[in-house]
Amino acid sequence: MKHRSVFLVTIALIAMLTLVPMGMVSADGHCEFADYTISLGGLAPMSAPGAVAGGVAMDWAFKQAAADINADCGVQIDGVNYMLEVITGDSEGSPERGQAVAERLILEDEVDGMVGVYHSAVGLATMGIMEENGIPTIFSEPWNDNVSANGIIEFDGAAPRFDDGIDHIFRISPASSMVGSVVTDWLIALGVEDVVLIVENTDYGQPAAADEQARLEAAGVSVSQIDVELGTEDFVPILSRIQAGPVPDAIRIVVTGETSFNLTQQMAELGIAPTPDTICVTNQIAFQHVQYWATVPDGNYCAFNRVGIIPSLFNDTAIELNAAYEAEFGDIVPSFGMASYDAVFMMVDAMERAGSYSDAAAIVDAIEASDILLSQGRYYFTYGSHNPDLPEGTPNFMWHQWPDPIVTVMQYFEQGQSSLEAAVVYPEVYQTHGTAYVVPGTSPDM
Amino acid sequence: MALFQRIEAAVDAGIGRRRLGYALLALIIVYFLWFPNDTSQSNYAKTVFISGFFYAIMSSSWALLAGIAGQFSFGHMAFMGIGAYVAGLVARDGLAFLTAESISAVGAIFIGTLVAGLVGLVIGWLLLRLRSAYLALFTIAFSELFRIVMLTEYDYTGGSNGLSLRPLLQIADVDTARQVEYYLMFALLIVCLLALYWVSNSPIGLFLRAMREDEDAASALGVNVVRYKILVFVFTSMIVGLAGAIFYSDVGSERIIPEQLEILQMSLIIAYAVIGGMESLIGAAAGAFIARYLLEATRQVVITLPFGLTMADGSDAFVWEPGAWRYALFGLVMVLTLRFMRNGLLYPIITWFSGRGLVMKETVAKRESDEDHAGRLEVDNE
Amino acid sequence: MIDAFLAWLLLAGPLWAVIGLWALPQVVGKRKNDDEPTLSKLQVAGVVSGFALGPLGLGLYYLRPRWITRVTLTIGLFLAVFLSSQALVRVGDPNLPSGAWLILAGPLWSAIAAYFIPRRYREAEADDQNVLTAAALGGFAIGPLIFGLMWKNTPKISRDWMIVLGSLGAWQIYTIFALHNAENLCVTAPYHITYLAQQTANGVVIGCIYSLMAVGLTLIYSVQGIVSFAHGQLYMVGGYFSFYFLMHGSNLLSQLTGTEISINPLWGIPVAALIVFLMGALFERAFLKPMHDGLIERVSEYAILITFGFGFVVEYTTLAIAGPFPQRTDRFIEARRITLPRTQITDEFAFGPINIIGDRAFAMLVGIVLIFALLYFLQRTWTGRALRATSQDRQAAAVTGINPTNMNTLSFGMGSMLAAMSGAALIPIFAWVPWVGAEMVGRSYVIVVLGGLGSVPGALVGGIIVGIVEALGAGCHPDPSRGAAYKEAFALVIFALVLLLKPTGLFGREQH
Repeated sequence: MKHRSVFLVTIALIAMLTLVPMGMVSADGHCEFADYTISLGGLAPMSAPGAVAGGVAMDWAFKQAAADINADCGVQIDGVNYMLEVITGDSEGSPERGQAVAERLILEDEVDGMVGVYHSAVGLATMGIMEENGIPTIFSEPWNDNVSANGIIEFDGAAPRFDDGIDHIFRISPASSMVGSVVTDWLIALGVEDVVLIVENTDYGQPAAADEQARLEAAGVSVSQIDVELGTEDFVPILSRIQAGPVPDAIRIVVTGETSFNLTQQMAELGIAPTPDTICVTNQIAFQHVQYWATVPDGNYCAFNRVGIIPSLFNDTAIELNAAYEAEFGDIVPSFGMASYDAVFMMVDAMERAGSYSDAAAIVDAIEASDILLSQGRYYFTYGSHNPDLPEGTPNFMWHQWPDPIVTVMQYFEQGQSSLEAAVVYPEVYQTHGTAYVVPGTSPDM
Repeated sequence: MALFQRIEAAVDAGIGRRRLGYALLALIIVYFLWFPNDTSQSNYAKTVFISGFFYAIMSSSWALLAGIAGQFSFGHMAFMGIGAYVAGLVARDGLAFLTAESISAVGAIFIGTLVAGLVGLVIGWLLLRLRSAYLALFTIAFSELFRIVMLTEYDYTGGSNGLSLRPLLQIADVDTARQVEYYLMFALLIVCLLALYWVSNSPIGLFLRAMREDEDAASALGVNVVRYKILVFVFTSMIVGLAGAIFYSDVGSERIIPEQLEILQMSLIIAYAVIGGMESLIGAAAGAFIARYLLEATRQVVITLPFGLTMADGSDAFVWEPGAWRYALFGLVMVLTLRFMRNGLLYPIITWFSGRGLVMKETVAKRESDEDHAGRLEVDNE
Repeated sequence: MIDAFLAWLLLAGPLWAVIGLWALPQVVGKRKNDDEPTLSKLQVAGVVSGFALGPLGLGLYYLRPRWITRVTLTIGLFLAVFLSSQALVRVGDPNLPSGAWLILAGPLWSAIAAYFIPRRYREAEADDQNVLTAAALGGFAIGPLIFGLMWKNTPKISRDWMIVLGSLGAWQIYTIFALHNAENLCVTAPYHITYLAQQTANGVVIGCIYSLMAVGLTLIYSVQGIVSFAHGQLYMVGGYFSFYFLMHGSNLLSQLTGTEISINPLWGIPVAALIVFLMGALFERAFLKPMHDGLIERVSEYAILITFGFGFVVEYTTLAIAGPFPQRTDRFIEARRITLPRTQITDEFAFGPINIIGDRAFAMLVGIVLIFALLYFLQRTWTGRALRATSQDRQAAAVTGINPTNMNTLSFGMGSMLAAMSGAALIPIFAWVPWVGAEMVGRSYVIVVLGGLGSVPGALVGGIIVGIVEALGAGCHPDPSRGAAYKEAFALVIFALVLLLKPTGLFGREQH
């Protein structure tokens, strides 16, 4: 045992000491590639305390996108084909690490563009670095309202450091406010009168809940909020507290990861929701139906918000991507996987149109003028330097923000149902089963 | 081996190991001082060094607390957090009862350090009765409570979005700023190390070692155990409080988040110190620096195959992304170091240069006379 | 704005108490009657009557010492509790974070009492075994009154005393909850009894489950004298072993028989137990044995670090193999929840219904059965007795032919096995990820320290207490939105207090 361990360590040490920069991927047979390899930096949380499951999916999407692009002769600029690589940097979900890694990607690996970012705190902390170094950036998952608005407003109380140049940051994930409004509109349309919000005390949960609470209260719905710490396993005491009070019309869970699964399952087991009296609204991670049913076996009839395109609207790109993801992980592709995949393609598309991989200003202009159909739909930007004035009443985050991330409310209505078949119940234009809510115990008319 | 011995003899006959050691140390310091002027290095390299200096401070001060004074605390990160959070809160909200004016960054850092020291005083006093495992458990509880409160009272602390501290330096030019930050953090490391060494080599250090080996005996010989235990807690808390407050004042990072106070982060500090050598301050500091570098460097392992060999896919390099294996191996290195090289991986090098053991002679003598008690446990000597 | 009530409590009460402490012995003592109370009783009386009724109380005492003692004592006690809760609620300014009251007065008096009273006992060279605990508890429960009661070493501090003071403290917290928010479910009649019973039941169920894991820690400690910092990771890995066994086992059986078969997760428990027992025993042989052979200096620190490192390796190896996605096995039993029916006690007063999640009830039973099996093993079998003998006196045990080295390995293996068994018992209940051990192990430390490190019944009682405190804390915290977020913190507060006040816990061996 002892000798084996020593042997292993020796091997590891040798491995550590013989580091050399990553070599180039071998050239494919049918295309002629130029010597230069275009590289993009991908920021994703690959180790704790970050959301590792999210990072793993994003990393996979970056690699998949690069492979797909290279299989199609890479990035074509002025008739020259360049190989593409995406270098994933591990943000660990921490702003400090995120900053360091972003710097490494930009300064050491000399990437030509950045994509990714999962945690908003990392997004907020790294924006300045990308801006400083003039790196075109497409964020694919942070939700904080202030993320893409950096170019025109102060963020988080600190004065904008860069008000002279162009704003390099784009976002194709929705802002928290865009997500919250769909769920709250749905609940209001269903005529609920009181809602319990269960919220994780993080940079994702708190602003999202505050926003939903404000919207619900503006519509005259009474709201009570319960904070939980991520990583808590046993929620029975607090659920008993809800159960003992007046029966709420809906319970909305704004929690991520396994904590959300535990919470939803215990709520269902105790018979609090979903019931004919109480609507269960969980969140986007319920869309991962394999994980969902494995950990929430009693979660039938729970509704959830789906961020990203709905399965019935999947185009060919999305179907292929989903198949590849399923082969790798055995579950449906999450929206941030799709968005990260699309972000790489958008960046490449912009470089091709700009006719350069290094001219940041040209690339930013090209991204602003994007009009491209990818796995999540047609991407374009309404407000940017080409259309700089936001009309009165338009929130600041619409700057460099893809205006069309589809946010819907979906609902399972059969035990173990695939999320590809789950009902889209709101907004009405996307409804698949002709109903705004499947009452537990019934089945929608097909 | 013969070659090595010949070199050894030559060094002994020539300038002597001690002086060679000092010369090497001076060389390393000069290298660190020169480093920012190396134009081939990017700002990122400086960032890595800045955070390396920070963790070196954390790790070497923990070595004083745990390795030399024997106070096995898991609360080190929490004291760092207290320094940073108090500095941030004071700079933002001011001290209502003192002044309505906002407080400068330096003032905030000063107050943060002071509060960290005060909390260290209270905790040190509370911990007087506890030893080894109990002390470790209590400091874990303290550190977790602090983290949970910082996370939950988000109206005041910003929750997991983190708290921005007032920037210490206001330099517009990025390159200059990074250079100044680098020198600032390096100076802080040097100052902290000097202070730690001063304590460790003074009579206080001797008392601390005596207490670590046998508290009752030390007390019987007239060492004021209470005073020195509290002193070492206050001293190290202030050092890490200061380091935290400065590091997060936009020197190394722009905001402090509660996740930074998790036990995982603390365990990394401990691992750095163990690998570098718990009883050597410079060893712990170097351990932090090297271990962080290796953790960073092994994110992707690429081994270029020799002799024209190729992998199955035709590439000439073996590429491995270790992911979580990296930490597993790191833990394994820590466990093996503990088991087989208790004084750290750098111990042989440092001993060679210093010409004597790191462990004080008195300590060795004490341990030898104590051998028949080695199997006994001190855990429950209440 | 401090109102008169608060001012009276914070200033006048203690002021008159101090005056009483000094004045009554002076004045009454001068009467020189043979039947006058002793000095210490006079001091007690002075503090109590001065605090409760101010000059009026002192005057009354001077005139009618006999009967006034008990009356003022009673009035004083209740007044003190009531007033301090009132005062504390007023401190609870809406601008302060909820629970600011707790941070202020109770602990303040507690700390003051804990500082001064043991000092007094030591000066008097009296037995100060439980003084610190009693002083701190009393300072919290009845504020400055504790000085009067404990100033001289007259009152012998018995277990009854502790229970009275503890209940008073709990009652005070309850009163403060009630005053802070009259809508609080814990105090709103008539429903609150059922609600409290429901929360207590939640606490007991989960507490028994917690105990199983804690018992493993306590077993290792009692034999080896070390706290295993790898316990949470062994718990986690036990769950994973069960999961993989059930998954592959079911697949294999289904393939062999051609029909869909799923193995009940109960079978995962022995499998996980066996594997992790071997893991623990091997680790002990390789890394802990040298410690007992005298090869390692400063063993307690070595033990912390080496087990910690072991846990680190196990956690990240699991993460690398199993991935970060949550897993869970099937249920133990079909019933989702068990409902204890409503009981009508009188016409107006009813009790129940109480809901318990079915699988948890089952896991609780598993936990209790295993703990009793362990107790049987320790009491009735030769090996168990040998383990106990080793834990009590290694040398003596060695003399009687027990091999302490084997006992060490056995204890670490069994302790790890118990962690793995609770992991395998909980994977049908909680979503499982590689970092799932962290929260649970923190709680186990609380439990073993509360119950007394080394005591198996202590771990069971400690588990139930921690379960109840968490459930009631989360259920009754005045701010419903923060109750759940602070759930873990409630146990940690108990933990810190027990470590500081009574490190031997409830059932630990007393050391002196």
